[in-house]
Amino acid sequence: MRAGPSQEEIRRQNLGALLRFVHVRGQISRAELTSELGLNRSTIGALTAELAAVGLVSEEAPRETGRAGRPSLVVRASSEQVYAYAASIGVDRISAARIGLGGVIMDRREAERPAEDVVTPLREFIESMEAGVGPGARCIGAGVAVCGLVRRADGVVRLGPHLGWLDQPVGAELREKLPDLLPSVVVGNVADLSALAEHTRGSAQGCSNIIYVYSDVGIGAGIIAGGRRVTGHGGYGGEVGHMVVNPNGRPCGCGSRGCWETEIGEESLLRHAGRTGQLGRDAVLAVVDAAARGDAEAQAAVRHVGDWLGFGVANLVNIFNPELVVFGGTMRDVYLASAAQVRSRLNHNALAACREHVRLRTPQLGDDAALLGAAELAFEQLLADPLG
Amino acid sequence: MSDTTAPPLLELRGVNKSFGPVHVLRDVDFTVRAGEVTALVGDNGAGKSTLVKCISGIYTSDSGEVLVAGERVHIHGPRDAAHHGIEIVYQDLALCDNLDIVQNMFLGRERLSGIILDEPSMEELAQKTLAGLSVRTVKSVRQLVSSLSGGQRQTVAIAKAVLWNSRLVILDEPTAALGVAQTAQVLELVRRLADNGLAVVLISHNMNDVFAVSDRIAALYLGRMAAQVKTTDVTHAQVVELITAGRSGSLGLQPEEAL
Repeated sequence: MRAGPSQEEIRRQNLGALLRFVHVRGQISRAELTSELGLNRSTIGALTAELAAVGLVSEEAPRETGRAGRPSLVVRASSEQVYAYAASIGVDRISAARIGLGGVIMDRREAERPAEDVVTPLREFIESMEAGVGPGARCIGAGVAVCGLVRRADGVVRLGPHLGWLDQPVGAELREKLPDLLPSVVVGNVADLSALAEHTRGSAQGCSNIIYVYSDVGIGAGIIAGGRRVTGHGGYGGEVGHMVVNPNGRPCGCGSRGCWETEIGEESLLRHAGRTGQLGRDAVLAVVDAAARGDAEAQAAVRHVGDWLGFGVANLVNIFNPELVVFGGTMRDVYLASAAQVRSRLNHNALAACREHVRLRTPQLGDDAALLGAAELAFEQLLADPLG
Repeated sequence: MSDTTAPPLLELRGVNKSFGPVHVLRDVDFTVRAGEVTALVGDNGAGKSTLVKCISGIYTSDSGEVLVAGERVHIHGPRDAAHHGIEIVYQDLALCDNLDIVQNMFLGRERLSGIILDEPSMEELAQKTLAGLSVRTVKSVRQLVSSLSGGQRQTVAIAKAVLWNSRLVILDEPTAALGVAQTAQVLELVRRLADNGLAVVLISHNMNDVFAVSDRIAALYLGRMAAQVKTTDVTHAQVVELITAGRSGSLGLQPEEAL
């Protein structure tokens, strides 16, 4: 029989729980922490003191509360003092940010994605942001969101179809360039990490079963089931863009035919709108805009995509029975412009029991979700063992 | 998610309204729940505006009952409606261009500190309200409304309606005059109002807007409530049929009723 957890384990567990709470929920009084975490007052006091001693949280007297009695101290994450770097590698653009504990974006940089080497510009971004850091602050690592298949074990990007990548150890390369600054670099898929961010502090807060459909050039999904991220055996799960929805459809870049991506992706929308040759986010938004202004061809294109979007979402809803489906990236605008089609297909094709409580939503964090999710990944180790 | 056991926030039973010989509303039943967006749809002249004006106290209904949170009330004017927590954002927004955001939000209901205006507290409350709605597009609450874009004006008008501890906000075509990006922002704001626990009535002709944010759809047809359905149960085609013909299969008015 295994002995119960040791004092040390319990303490580590509680420290992590408290730090995570402050990290996710923002500043909070000791009194509220006591009731939220179900620990007694002196334990909360001791735990906060330990976290404050290593500079992870700070405590201060609150402003006038207008109530009787001595006010409880307010605990907040030291966003200025403890931070991670986050990077997002999209098809068109790369971005990087310095994100403080508590999920506060302190600084950010963005540029077009260079065709060849993305690690050098990312290093330059990080170095220039590092110059603005105050004294005594510490970097706990970096997280990178990539639109591609990422091996969970070592963060190697196995395949980035729209980046033209094959087996790219982008995390290791970035760490090699900045060995003194970055103790670790973790890599994840952009849809997974956006879902994580929306789940932690966005529109999916408090939901345990969500699907975040993300579209850049291709389509991917971040899936959270039972409160846990579903990334599969190797970390490659959630590639919903490559489920075959139309066996008689067009060939897909992956080698298959009629993948969901070939019906609802950027290329499909632009082709149906008669705008072949154009690419990128602005071109997609131009079609949505033209549809709203009455351009018949653009309207037909948006309806076509909305229809197929509904088919796929109906399948996903039947399989996962989520409470929330979030449409991110350019899919946000396409969804809002075709919500009638999407909802109609979903209501028609999904099983009533699976779909009755599903809400379709747009993200709350917008384009910051990928960066915030990457930072979340980087903070994970710290939150699991704050003093480790 | 709304609490289905609580009485609906607003319930109309058998409301009638005539203007002379024109019978505009015929025995209209209408239910609005807290935490939900109820879309009110119907063709031009179906009675949407009249129904909303009966709720807001601009018109008095000829017969019928109005219940707010389960209690029977009499609404004889806009002040009665405001007293029950019902606020309306009209299509023209009713904002004053020459005043700033705070002045607009408190127009006619200014806070006083002694005999002078309590500017700091009004400013703080305006800021708090905008922040509570996650509005990031407005830089300063002291900006003149004339300097705002269409979407920002709509946002201010909605924030003004939310400020008064309102429980029901009625929005008349909030996205009609907006571009795509601003429409998206306003739709997200409408959704957030309901997610924050308010009851929202959205009047719109745009089926995409209706399907994007609503939980229930109420379709008026020639002054009658054709059907009030859950958005998760119907298709676009069915709603269009309800609007244009008053019925769709087993939904809506049956032939002998739909004169």
